[in-house]
Parts: sequence; C-alpha cells; structure tokens
Amino acid sequence: MSAIGGTTTVSGDAALDPEAEETRTGTPDPEDGTDVSRRRWPRVLGALLTVALIATGGALYAEGRQLRDTPATANLALTDAEATTRVTGDVSSALSKVFSYGPGATATTRAAAEEVLAGKALQQYAALFGQVERQSADQKLTLTTEVVRSGVTRLTDDSAHLLVFLDQVYERRGRTPTTASAQLTVVAELRDGRWWIVEIGST
Amino acid sequence: MARRRTTTVSTGTSGTRGTSRTTGTSGTRGTSRTTGTRNPTLLAALALVVCAAGAAGWGGWQRYEASHDDAASFAQARDDALAAGEQAVQNMNTLDHKELEQGLDSWEQSTTGDLRRQLVDGRDDFARQIAEAKTVSTAKVLSGAVTELDERAGRAGVMVALRVTVTAPKGEPAVKESRLLGTLTRTSGGWKLSALGQAPVGSTGG
Repeated sequence: MSAIGGTTTVSGDAALDPEAEETRTGTPDPEDGTDVSRRRWPRVLGALLTVALIATGGALYAEGRQLRDTPATANLALTDAEATTRVTGDVSSALSKVFSYGPGATATTRAAAEEVLAGKALQQYAALFGQVERQSADQKLTLTTEVVRSGVTRLTDDSAHLLVFLDQVYERRGRTPTTASAQLTVVAELRDGRWWIVEIGST
Repeated sequence: MARRRTTTVSTGTSGTRGTSRTTGTSGTRGTSRTTGTRNPTLLAALALVVCAAGAAGWGGWQRYEASHDDAASFAQARDDALAAGEQAVQNMNTLDHKELEQGLDSWEQSTTGDLRRQLVDGRDDFARQIAEAKTVSTAKVLSGAVTELDERAGRAGVMVALRVTVTAPKGEPAVKESRLLGTLTRTSGGWKLSALGQAPVGSTGG
C-alpha cells in the first residue's frame, strides 16, 4: 500500500516542478516517473511472493508439527516396542521377587526389594514387610507371586506407568494353597539403565 | 494510507511551492539511489525469493512426512483402541433392569464378531433373568492398557481393571473388582470388542 502511495507522490511532484528535476537527473520528467513505477512493480510482486512463500512454508511446517507432536505420540507405549518389552519384563520380574517369600527366606526377599524398589515404593514396602516377616515365621507361610499380564499405560524416555495383573498363591504348611488375584498400578523410573519401581498402588 | 498521501500531493499542487519541492526532492533522491545499486539489490531479492521458495518446499516436505508418519498413526490407533476398549468394557458391565433394552443395545453396539453373535442369541433369556432379578450394575474402569496392537490387521489386545457394583432389590450393593482381558477388532464403526473374559486365575501359578 505505502509503496504505491510513494509512487504517486513522486510522479505528481515531478510533473509539478520540471526545472528542479531536469537540473538533477537530466531526463524528461514524465518518462522518469513511469520508469520508476514500472521498476517498482516487480519489486512489490517479489516481496509479496517472498512473504507468501515463507508464510506457506511456516504454515505447512506448523501443521506437520501438530500432526506429529500429539499427546498420543508423546506416549511411547507399544510404539517403542523394545522399551515397552523391557519395562514390562523388568517390572514383572521385580514384582514376582518382592512379593514372593518363604519362612526363613524373608531376608533374601528384603535384600531383593532394595535392588528393585526406590522412593515411595521402598518405604511402603518396608512398612508392610515387617509384619509379613513375623507372620511368615509364625505361620510357616509361603507366598508365591506370578504376573499374569502386564501392560504399559504410559511410557516416556525415563518413566513408565503400568497395569499389572498378579496371582498370589498362599501356602500354609499342612493346608491347601489358596490363590488370590490382584491388580496393581505401578510407576517405574529408569535410573542408571535400569527400571526401578517407585510407586505401587492397588487400582 | 494511500488516500492520505494523495491528499498531501494535491495540497502541494494548489499552494505552497516550498512544501511540494521538499517532498519531491527527497522522493526522487531516494529513487535515484536505489537505481544506482540496482543489481546487488536485485540479486539479494532473488536470493531471498529462492530462500523463501526453499522454506515453502521444506515446510511442505515436513507436512508430507508428518501425515505419512507410521509411528504417529500407530500411537493414535493405540489410544483409539484403548479408549474404545475401556468404554466397551464399561458398557458390558453396566445394566439397569429398568432400562434393559437400552442397556442391551449398548452391549451390542460395543461388540462385533462372535461376541456380538453370542449376545444377540442369548439376549432374550438374559433379559428375562435380569428382569426377574431386578439388579442394577454399574462399572468404573480403574485402569487399562493396550497389550498388543496389530494396526494392519486391525486387532488389539487390552487389559482392564474394573470395579463393578451390583445392587439387588434386597441387601447391600456388592462391589467386586475384576481383571478383564479383551480383544478388539477394528470395524467401520471404530474399534469393537470381539472377545472379553476374566483374566484366568491360578493358571500360571505352579
């Protein structure tokens, strides 16, 4: 808009004051005026084209980002098959270890727990396990935990949320074992190349 | 903008010579300066246009890549399957004897294949049983995860932890937590349950 306005000013003025123009440029004024305006339009066109191209590029790029960076793609569960398998494997074996014990072998379980649990999960576990140790010794209780199915609900580079279905078999000496089914939600974090369970919740 | 400039010029024409000359001088001088450095400017302008064209092309390429990104579509399919699976499992565990037909319709809408056929076949008997028992079941999904997904085949496996509350005319409502495994199949109407069952208990424990 302003470029066109400028042109008007120049040509209008050149027509108005021919002497001043001639002394400086030495060319007839009307010609100079049309020449200038003729030279300007490719410039305007070029500028518009440039802006349009940049805007198009930017818009397409933004659209592409929007398609790629969705809440769905931020969650790597199953899309990163290797990481998904690893975290389910690590967490499943960790849960089987910490929730399995026999009379006289609770110390082994406790030691194993410190290798796979961290943070809040370790505190919860320690509080619970004191009771369990006494019970196990008194009642000759054996607990075996098996993971039936585990799935990852949310996975990022260093944290994971899982849903785990467990079977727990209680055996008291001299009685038939009973099986209980349980489901847990687990939060795990990747530290030093290993997945640690940092939170355990009953769903 | 343009209109205001035009007004300035016409004022110059009619009256004060001094004003119009000053405007004219600065305007022409500016033009002659650009005329002198025309070639480098033109080159720069051309370079700019080429860069802009490059930017547009690159943006287009990014956009194309994004819409053909397998990981993105896989992630979306996973989330769609989970959402549909959780909703279907919840529907299948919700039934009010006062709104029996509506409830059973939603069961059929949530399912496909063999599971749907079983439901349709057993619908009348089941409706009679519920009408006699006068129970109301409500369900809440506690957590769910997709355990497997074959995007091409349109099949997905889900696991869902569910809390079901069954209220009978007499007695306290019974609350039960259950662990369910379902298979979903993609249909033209979205992901639907083609199999659903309790996760087996004691089958893996030795």
